[in-house]
Amino acid sequence: MAYTLELYRRLIAIRIRAQMQYRSAFLADVFTTAVLNGASFFSLALVLQRFDGIKGWSLWEVALLFGTVDSAFGMMDMIFSGFDPDTFGQRVRMGDFDRMLLRPVPVELQVFSAEFLLRRLGRILEGGAILLLAMANLPVEWNAWRVGLIALAYVSQVAFFGGLFMIGAAITFWTVESIEAINVLTYGGQELNSFPYEIYNRYLVYIFTYLIPGIFINYYPVLTVLGKPDPFGMPWFAPYLAPVVGLGMLALGNAFWRFGLRHYQSTGT
Amino acid sequence: MRTYLALARLAVQRQFTYRAATLAGLLTNFFFGLLRAAVIVALYGQRSTVAGMDVQQAVTYTGISQAGIAFLSLFSWFEIIHSVNSGQVGADLLKPMSFFGFWMAQDLGQALVNLLLRGVTIMVFYALYFGVSTPSAPAAWLALAVCLLLAWLISFAWRFLINLSAFWTPNAIGLCRLFYGASWIMSGFFMPLRFLPEWFQAICRLTPFPHMINTPVEIYLGLVDGPAALELLLHQAAWALALIAAGQVALHAGVRKLVIQGG
Repeated sequence: MAYTLELYRRLIAIRIRAQMQYRSAFLADVFTTAVLNGASFFSLALVLQRFDGIKGWSLWEVALLFGTVDSAFGMMDMIFSGFDPDTFGQRVRMGDFDRMLLRPVPVELQVFSAEFLLRRLGRILEGGAILLLAMANLPVEWNAWRVGLIALAYVSQVAFFGGLFMIGAAITFWTVESIEAINVLTYGGQELNSFPYEIYNRYLVYIFTYLIPGIFINYYPVLTVLGKPDPFGMPWFAPYLAPVVGLGMLALGNAFWRFGLRHYQSTGT
Repeated sequence: MRTYLALARLAVQRQFTYRAATLAGLLTNFFFGLLRAAVIVALYGQRSTVAGMDVQQAVTYTGISQAGIAFLSLFSWFEIIHSVNSGQVGADLLKPMSFFGFWMAQDLGQALVNLLLRGVTIMVFYALYFGVSTPSAPAAWLALAVCLLLAWLISFAWRFLINLSAFWTPNAIGLCRLFYGASWIMSGFFMPLRFLPEWFQAICRLTPFPHMINTPVEIYLGLVDGPAALELLLHQAAWALALIAAGQVALHAGVRKLVIQGG
């Protein structure tokens, strides 16, 4: 285990050094991502101001939701870059993945370290900035419990979306064409969790409560932190389900990945 | 001329073969459209009209927005950059046809298929699920058709122009990402530009981006009267011409500067 971690650390270091070689391009990339995502939030903020909030949630309350999931998604995207279904699918198709299977190193380690997109930092920082601005502007007393809950939500989201990425990557063992469906859950899931669930129709809420429990990873922690009334009447421990859901999805992703690996038949290149 | 038509036809066929991806793409479009519509409806709350749009029009807008993504290759298009990086551009430039026309014909074919398979389909989904507004008079449909054609032309000429940056820099993809990002924000893709403050709209109007999504939306929903609509179309045409001209200038300058990698 220690050996694997050390190897991971070294491989990631190589990836990072490689990306830093083109330092100006790298910085430009980080800057671009940060600015663009920030700008789209900015235009959302302008609209929210014009409409005086949304379903009883003020601009900064929405910003807390938005910033948390934005930054967490970026973090996940950076760590799980190797599992990104779009790029992983390419690897499988090109036969690169077969090469990985032949090496005397755990294949998951290789996939994790195949990519480590440092430029995702742009999104991580931008989302983080929105999150911090929200915290600064909200009339909330930020004690250890509240900050801890947000941090818990953050980590749970990284795990949750990471699991989805793993499922998406595993799907490419069978077909490269249907990854869009997973993109709906990952990118769509991130967008969905950027807003309070009150605005969604009943069926959508049911799906994301009982089928894919996304409601617990961002909405409930934030709702609890803000002390807002719960429109769905969930039990008191709802916000604490975040790590359960996050780890659960990660475990599911891992299981699906192993299943896919066992049944994997190469493309034969 | 025949060559260009043949290219367009091939592009159409090529796009048709990606059926599974198209279906999956539609799923994505519908889901995001659903989300955006939910946000818009919640924003409206009790209000019936905001900035001249009622709720149904605003919801229809989210559908049009989604419909435009594939049609206009709104999110990204790096084909020319890839061809420069691979060296393929050398062969393309040697072809006995206009380089611009070569790419335009293919993009037109791809755009038409996407307009039908993804654009129209999404609007049909929307009509069934939400109920949508549609243009009323035949003149409105004609205006819409012209508007869509010009929107595509602007989008293509713009994408062509920024892809040419590959002739000068190896960081073309990174640079273009910045431009694509700017275009989403300023085209009225996220939110109708009407909802944004006047100063923001003024900045957007300095760019061709509103004419990609916002203008077709305004014409489709009939938010502008006859003379104003005509004026919008003229603005679109002007931008299209300007971008095409800029593309030609850049191409001429770029070809001299071109450094071919790979091969």
